[in-house]
Amino acid sequence: MFEEIAFGGMLFSPLVIFMPVAFLLSVITRLVLYKTGLYQHVWRPAWLEVSLFVCYLAAVVFIAGR
Amino acid sequence: MGTVLRIIVTLLVVALAVFAGRWVWDHYLYSPWTRDGRVRADITVVAPDVSGWVTQLSVRDNEYVQKGEVLFTIDDARYQAAVDEQRAIIEHKQRVWELAQSKYKQALQSDNGEDDSSPNHEAYRIAAEVAKADYKEAESKLKTLLLDLQRTKVEASQSGSVVNLDLRTGNYVQRGKPVLSLVNKDSFYVTGYFEETKLPLVRIGQSATVKLMSSEHTLTGKVVSIGQAIANTSVGHNEQMLPKIQQTFNWVRLAQRIPVDIKLDPVPDNVRLVAGTTVSVHLN
Repeated sequence: MFEEIAFGGMLFSPLVIFMPVAFLLSVITRLVLYKTGLYQHVWRPAWLEVSLFVCYLAAVVFIAGR
Repeated sequence: MGTVLRIIVTLLVVALAVFAGRWVWDHYLYSPWTRDGRVRADITVVAPDVSGWVTQLSVRDNEYVQKGEVLFTIDDARYQAAVDEQRAIIEHKQRVWELAQSKYKQALQSDNGEDDSSPNHEAYRIAAEVAKADYKEAESKLKTLLLDLQRTKVEASQSGSVVNLDLRTGNYVQRGKPVLSLVNKDSFYVTGYFEETKLPLVRIGQSATVKLMSSEHTLTGKVVSIGQAIANTSVGHNEQMLPKIQQTFNWVRLAQRIPVDIKLDPVPDNVRLVAGTTVSVHLN
């Protein structure tokens, strides 16, 4: 699924879709961690969040790209 | 939860992210795919071989024509007149030749009567030969004129569809000046413009997946050839033919694109290919 996404005659890179999906997933993860109280135990939460986002993005690209 | 465990969990995720990020990067940058692809076709440009007014236009825009079908007819009055004129000239030359021949015969007879050592029939013989050559010349000129007359009917040299027909009945067309084009039947192929960084991943015979912008269908094909040269836009020359090289000072330079031709496998009936439309090409 490396083709463009056509929207209203404009062509976008599929990353335009993949990025928000990955972002949404990391927001959900963050909410879950926050609600369960695990968030306080995380060492360097910012590092973890950024890393999770990248991992999610790779996962989305992998799944959608097949 | 121990501090060590907390640190290890975060570091593991970070390490995973590094690998995942690297994979995405490589996938996007170094897998042989391009969004810069075009459907192409063999186009025959039709130009008349004679000048004149178009008296009859036999095709409509986007119409499919068979090879040999008449596309349009050019006013042939002038060419017909030229042929008639040439026929008259031929007749004239033929008579001139006959006259020269008969004069030669007479001279031959009179020469035989007297036994002259310098026969004057030689000049008559040559005159007859010249008249014959004139006749032959006029005959071959007729062939050219007949060809012109025949070519007032412009025929399709290939089976295909007429494209962008601006020609109308009554238009004056010039010899050798293109007036319409034909998209040759079943000649569609795809050219993908691949970045030069991806070129090592492209090889002839590689199977390709082609996605049309205009349809959800995915077509398949095979790489048949890779472009051998592209233009260098930063080098020109001056009046003394010395190279004039554009200085490069930018930080970012874009990878250039190399055309790669892809022959399509038979296309499903419900897919309409239009030369010039955009496609994405992914090589496997």
